[in-house]
Amino acid sequence: MIMTHPGLPVYWQGLIIVFMFLVSAWALIAPLPKKAGHRGWPLEKLPVIGYFIRFLNNSPWPLLIAKIVVVAVFLTVIYAGLQGTPVPERNLATVLTWNLWWAGLIVAIFFLGSAWCAICPWDAMATWLVRRHLWGRGLLNNSLNLKVPKWLRNVWPALLLFMALTWFELGVGVTLDPYATAVLALLIVVLATLSLALFEDKAFCHYFCPVGRTVGYYSQLAPVALRPLDPSVCQDCKTLECFHGSDKVEPCPTHLVMGTLKENTFCTSCGNCVQSCPEKNVSWHLRPQSVEVKQDARPNWDDAWFMLGLLTLTSFHGITMLPFWYDSVSQFGGWIGDSGQLLLSFSLGMLFVMLAPIALYAVLVYWSQQWTGAAVRYRQAFSVLAFASLPLAFSYHIAHNLNHLVRESHDLIALFVNPSGVGTLPLSVMEKHERHLQMIISQDTLFLLQGGLMLFGFWLAIQVIRYRAFALYSETKLWVLPIIIFALLVHGFDLWLMAQPMTMRM
Amino acid sequence: MKTKLLLILLMSIVTVNALAHHVLGRPAYSLSSDSNTPPSMQVETQIGEFFVTYMVFPAFPQPGQQGRLNLYATHRDTGKPFDGQVAFEIRDDKWFGGHKETLGVQKIDDGVYRQGFLVSNAGEYLVRAQFVSGGEPYTIDFPLKIGQVSGVGPVAIALIFIVSVLIIVSVVQRKRLLRGKIQAAHRDTST
Repeated sequence: MIMTHPGLPVYWQGLIIVFMFLVSAWALIAPLPKKAGHRGWPLEKLPVIGYFIRFLNNSPWPLLIAKIVVVAVFLTVIYAGLQGTPVPERNLATVLTWNLWWAGLIVAIFFLGSAWCAICPWDAMATWLVRRHLWGRGLLNNSLNLKVPKWLRNVWPALLLFMALTWFELGVGVTLDPYATAVLALLIVVLATLSLALFEDKAFCHYFCPVGRTVGYYSQLAPVALRPLDPSVCQDCKTLECFHGSDKVEPCPTHLVMGTLKENTFCTSCGNCVQSCPEKNVSWHLRPQSVEVKQDARPNWDDAWFMLGLLTLTSFHGITMLPFWYDSVSQFGGWIGDSGQLLLSFSLGMLFVMLAPIALYAVLVYWSQQWTGAAVRYRQAFSVLAFASLPLAFSYHIAHNLNHLVRESHDLIALFVNPSGVGTLPLSVMEKHERHLQMIISQDTLFLLQGGLMLFGFWLAIQVIRYRAFALYSETKLWVLPIIIFALLVHGFDLWLMAQPMTMRM
Repeated sequence: MKTKLLLILLMSIVTVNALAHHVLGRPAYSLSSDSNTPPSMQVETQIGEFFVTYMVFPAFPQPGQQGRLNLYATHRDTGKPFDGQVAFEIRDDKWFGGHKETLGVQKIDDGVYRQGFLVSNAGEYLVRAQFVSGGEPYTIDFPLKIGQVSGVGPVAIALIFIVSVLIIVSVVQRKRLLRGKIQAAHRDTST
């Protein structure tokens, strides 16, 4: 029996649509934006949270303990997946991985940026295996320290792996198979270890990890970031411990220099810079959520494709959880003679859902570029304006994931007590109904959060379009119209997805 | 050349029509938990003109326990059940080799093809259902897990791979260091 979650109510849909058109109209007539402010507030100077931040900054132990705990949970997931019950809703591997972690991770970025990467079990295990030490600077001769080939120094591998992950997740149905979930988790440990054993620094985190890159791009919208307390100290610094590391602390795993750091994309929040800086000049800052995506993040061709990939794959997640998707794939499978798990039909459907919005974006960017007549290369316009897709993807992604988190993350204590689900049976219809009724927060609160996120995401996207387009073309206003049309169409489609009843995952 | 490629592509599409690969299953109640039907392992798939549903009772059969497979095949357009014979075969779920055995050939019984089974050894098996409709043969592989299967395999493969990589890297690094020392010694003696 397929259970569905109710979609966003009509009054929220109406409110969001009106808001979208009003904001779009405003963007066309409002004065051109000036440069966004850079103000940030060091968290360690705040009254209560400051104590916690100083505690984190002063010693490597809190982070190490957190890593050990996460690795222990990760190993439990592997054990439960390989040895436990195949009933997905009763096995810790599937529930924790797909309902709690994968859904909660995106929500966590909204508050904590790339903090997950600091305690990532894949990287922790790879580091312990290759460097053979728990923390600090180890013997580098355990890795070949090869330079990553130039053709791999971009995020195309991460985008391809992200597509592969989505294919396994939604096409093969790994989310409903504890064994396959555990094997997938193990495979990523192997890839991370192989990368660390071959290449210098954390090439896996930097270029290959689909989760790390997703976290990285979304972290551009995070309200927290590691930054210098006093920028002038960094300007005068000649030793660059944040980049090179110190006797005891490893260098920045992704080659960042704190004095020039303006974007979170490749920061893994590992805290090496905090620990190695002799001036104790690096700490966590609270900052406006939009400043990085509006102006600070540097546009690149591969970054643009990853952000657009995030946008389309996020919508694709939503599409596959609508009942009509199964019928469409089945019908299409019948036409082309596909059979079994209909993987060919699924893959073609996935490619179409990915490429159609990107093709639309490409056409609208071309229109915008031609309209202005400014001497801006098409590739540059494509890369710069793609930042608008980030808030659209992020807001819909969180709003969608809240459904999984709030409605499907039940019985976690029971799952941790019996991670393998020994002696359990599939969820009965009664239990499924109970889950629908026992939400962590009320349904109205959930709709409020989802609606608020959709409003916030569109507002931010329009801000990004205005700032980025101004920086790109430096004049007039109407040329933003094509990109605003793109934002309206994509967000309108995501809103329609939110309004549909969504199939319960487990 | 182009015509040949097109022909190969067409042929590949036509041939997949007759063979569905191994599909994932999910344990669930076939009716509801309140009915007297125990949970079963269920797989829903389609092949050619048919929707096929496969159920294993009980969902987690043990070695030596009598079990039953139910197979429903309905026409995609008309919804009518396939009326013919379905042959069931069981084989080890291995990439190479493996033992196979015929379970039986069943006729339709109240819209269902029912096949009993009894497997004495725990392990991962494939049940192959075969039937002919409109002169075209159809073959579908379904999973059948008997008892508790050890999950050591993936862990062992991962460990062997990681340890091999680390050993190779270590050996290469030692050679590099040694070469560096020899070169340094040569430089010292030449100066």
